[in-house]
Amino acid sequence: MPGSDKPLLAHLLRRAGFGATFQELERYSQLGYEATVDQLLHPEDQPSIEEDVLERYYIDWKESRNIEGALTESVYRMNAYAGGRPLQEKIALFWHQVFATGLAKVLHEKTMLNQIDLFRQHGLGSFRDLLLHLAKDPAMIFWLDNNFNHKDAPNENWGRELLELFSMGVGMDGQENYTEDDVKNAARAFTGWTIDDDNVASIPFGKTPWLFRYVPEDHDEDEKTFMSQTGNFNGEDIIDIVVQQPATARFLSRHLYNFFVADEPQVPAWQHTPPGDPEAVKILEDEYFRSGYDIRSMLNVLFKSDFFKSDQARFAKVKSPAEVVVGTLHLLGDFKFPKRGIFEVALGCRYMGQDLLNPPSVEGWHTGEEWIDSGSLVERVNFVADQVSDIQQPGVRSMVETLLDRTAELDPITVIDGCLELLGHVRLHDKNKDHLAGEIRSMLEQRGGLVAGSPEDRQLAEKTVLHTMKMIGSSREYQFC
Amino acid sequence: MTAKTENPVSEKGLYRYHDVIGLLSAAGPGFSGPVSVVTGPDGNLWVANRANPNQPEAVRITRCTKDGDFIEHFGEWGEEPGQFIWVTCIAFSPQGELYLTDENTHRITVFDGENNFSRCFGSYGSGPGQFDRPSGITFAPDGNLYVVDTLNHRVQVLTQGGEFISQWGSQGGGEGQLNMPWGIAIDSSGDVYITDWRNDRVQKFDASGKFLMGFGSSGDGDGAFNRPNGIAVDSDGDIYVCDWMNDRVQIFDQSGGVKDVLIGHSGMSKWGRTFLDANPEIEHKLALAEQNIAIKERFYRPVSVHVDDDGKVFVADCYRHRVQIYQKL
Repeated sequence: MPGSDKPLLAHLLRRAGFGATFQELERYSQLGYEATVDQLLHPEDQPSIEEDVLERYYIDWKESRNIEGALTESVYRMNAYAGGRPLQEKIALFWHQVFATGLAKVLHEKTMLNQIDLFRQHGLGSFRDLLLHLAKDPAMIFWLDNNFNHKDAPNENWGRELLELFSMGVGMDGQENYTEDDVKNAARAFTGWTIDDDNVASIPFGKTPWLFRYVPEDHDEDEKTFMSQTGNFNGEDIIDIVVQQPATARFLSRHLYNFFVADEPQVPAWQHTPPGDPEAVKILEDEYFRSGYDIRSMLNVLFKSDFFKSDQARFAKVKSPAEVVVGTLHLLGDFKFPKRGIFEVALGCRYMGQDLLNPPSVEGWHTGEEWIDSGSLVERVNFVADQVSDIQQPGVRSMVETLLDRTAELDPITVIDGCLELLGHVRLHDKNKDHLAGEIRSMLEQRGGLVAGSPEDRQLAEKTVLHTMKMIGSSREYQFC
Repeated sequence: MTAKTENPVSEKGLYRYHDVIGLLSAAGPGFSGPVSVVTGPDGNLWVANRANPNQPEAVRITRCTKDGDFIEHFGEWGEEPGQFIWVTCIAFSPQGELYLTDENTHRITVFDGENNFSRCFGSYGSGPGQFDRPSGITFAPDGNLYVVDTLNHRVQVLTQGGEFISQWGSQGGGEGQLNMPWGIAIDSSGDVYITDWRNDRVQKFDASGKFLMGFGSSGDGDGAFNRPNGIAVDSDGDIYVCDWMNDRVQIFDQSGGVKDVLIGHSGMSKWGRTFLDANPEIEHKLALAEQNIAIKERFYRPVSVHVDDDGKVFVADCYRHRVQIYQKL
C-alpha cells in the first residue's frame, strides 16, 4: 500500500540492506511496503554499477593482489549497491558468513572475490543450486581440501562441513542429524571434484584464475550409503539428498531468522537450544519445502511476516561491522564515484572485528552481542561519530539542510526528533533522549536561542544539528539495527 | 631476447610478435600495473607503473632497454610536489623533459633529463589550466602540450610551462563532444586523435580542435570498441588503439578502416626466466594449469600503445605487468 509508514520501511531496509537515506525512504514509501519487498527480492531488475568506471580508477582491483585490496573492493561494492540492489549485497554477506571461506588459507584474492560473486548471482535462488555451485567453487575446494580428496585417499573435510556447517547442522531438537559414516560416504562422493591450478604466485605475470575440474579417473565409483540411501552416488546426488532433509530446512531457516530477524545463540548451540521463535522458524521451514528450496520465496515470507514487522523485532540485532561501515557510508552518500580513501575506510570492518574475506574459521564470525567488546565498541563509536558530523559529506549536508529548511525555530526536541528521523528513524531511549535534550538546550541558550535565519544563525544551527547527529551516532542505540 | 623467426603473426599478418619485457615487481626489474610506455630521448623504454594503493612503493617510473635490461626506477608516491599518486600517462617534451599526469592530485609533474623534479602545474577545477582527473598527454609538432581533461570532458592546450592556450570539448555523444576521454596522439601534421572512452570511439581533430572525423562504436566486432584508451599513430599514419575491455589492440588506416588486430602472444620475459629458474616449483605449477595457458599469452587490459621509429609496437599489458612487443612487417 502506497504511503506505508517509514519507520517500518527503515526497519526493512536496515535488515534487507544497509539502511536507507531519508530520500530513499520517501520513494519506498510511495511504492508501499509489499512492493518494496518485491523490488528488493529482484535486484537483477535494478541497474548495475558502472564496472568500467570502477575498473578505470581502481586499476588494480580487477586482479586484486592482496587481502586489503579484496576487502576494499568488497566494501566499495556493498556501498555502491546499497541504494539500488541492497539485498544482493546483503545476501552475499549472509552466505559469506554461513559458507565462511578465508584468504588466510586461500591466498588467491580474485578466486575469493569470485566466490562472493557466486553468492550475488545465486544467493537468492535455489538452495540446491547454490550448494552445487559451492561444491564446484575453487575457493571452497581449496579451503576445505577437496583438491586432496582422492579415490584412494579420501579427505573428509568438505564432506563434513557440507553437513555440519553448510546444510543440516550437527543436530536439532537434541538429536544428531547424521552419522560419521554419512560424512565418510559424502566425502567419497566428491572425490575427483578438484581444481586444475592452485598456484598462488603472482610472479611472473600476475595470478591466473583457479578453475573447477572434474577428474573422473579420481572419482570413487563404488556404492555408497548416505542418509539411509544406497547407490553409486556422485556429489550432485549427495546434495539432492541433503536438501530433502528436514534438518536442512531447520538449519537454513534458523540461519535466515538469525541474520534477518533477531539474534539467535551461536550455531554450535543449535543442536540443544531450540529457536527463539519456533513458530517463525517453522513458517520458514514450510516455505522451504513448498517452494522447492527457494531462498527468494523464504525471504518473501520472512519480510512480509508479522514476526518480522513486529515492534519487538526492531532494533533487536547488533549491527555487524560491515553493517556499521557500509550503512554509514551509504547514509553519507560517500564513495559513489571512485576516489582515494576507500581503503582506509574499509579497514574499519577489520578494526571492529569483521575481517571480511578472512573469517576466523569455517564457522564464520560469532554474531550478536559477541560483536561487541571494549575495543571494537570504541572503533564503532569513533567511526560513526566522525563520519556523521562531517558537513562535507553530501548525505550529511543534505540532512542538515533538510532539517533546517523545515524548521523556523530550533528547540532541542525538534532537533533530536529531526535527526533521528533523517538518520533512518533511529530510536533513543527516553533517558538518553532527555540527557541529549538537556545538552542541546544548554548549547542553544549559550547562543541566545538560535533561529535559523541569518547566515550566522544558520551556521550555528548547523553546528547544533551536526553535534546532535554525532551524539546519536555515538549512542548505544545506534549500534542496533 | 626470445624473438624467433617462428614467432606468431597477427590476424592479418602485418605484425609479428617480437618479445616481452616484464615481471610483477614493486621495485627494480619489473612492473606493477604499467599504464604508459614511451621511448625516451635516450632510446630506452620508459614505463609508468600505476600499482595499487596498498603498495605505494611500487608506484614509479621504470627505465629499461628495449631488449629488456633494467636500468633504473625513480619516482615517489605522495601528494607533495614531485610526488604522484595515480599516474596515468607520461610523455617527453621536445626538450627531453618528462611530463606525467596524476589523476589524484589533478596536476602535471615535470622531471628534467636527470629525473629530478622540475615543476608541477594544475589544480582541481574546471577553469582554464585546471583539471578534473587529467589522463592522456602528448606534445604537438609546435611543442605545445595537449592534455586530456577526463572528467571535464575536454582537451586543453597548454604551453610547456602550463599556461593555458585553448580548449575544446564538452560532455556528450555528438560530433566533437566527449565522454570521459582518455588517450591522445598527434600525427606528423599536427592532427589530434582522442579515444573517447565512454563513447567507444576515436575522434580526430585538427590542432585547433575542429572536428575532422570519427570512427568506432560499442561492441566487440571489427572496428568496434569496449572502452578504448591508449592510442598511437605511426610514421605511415596507421592508428593503433588499445581496445581496453576487449583485450586487444586494433590498427586502423587513415580513413578508420580496420587493418589488423593484436591479441597478445606473450612468451616468457628475460626477468621472468630469471625468476623461474630460481623457483622451478612455480614453473611446474604454471605448466599444470592447462586451462590457463592461452589466457597467459593474451593481453589483459592493454592500456598504452607506442610505436617507435623502427616499427616496433610496444603495448603496456597492464594486468599482466608486462610490455608485449610486436614488429611491423
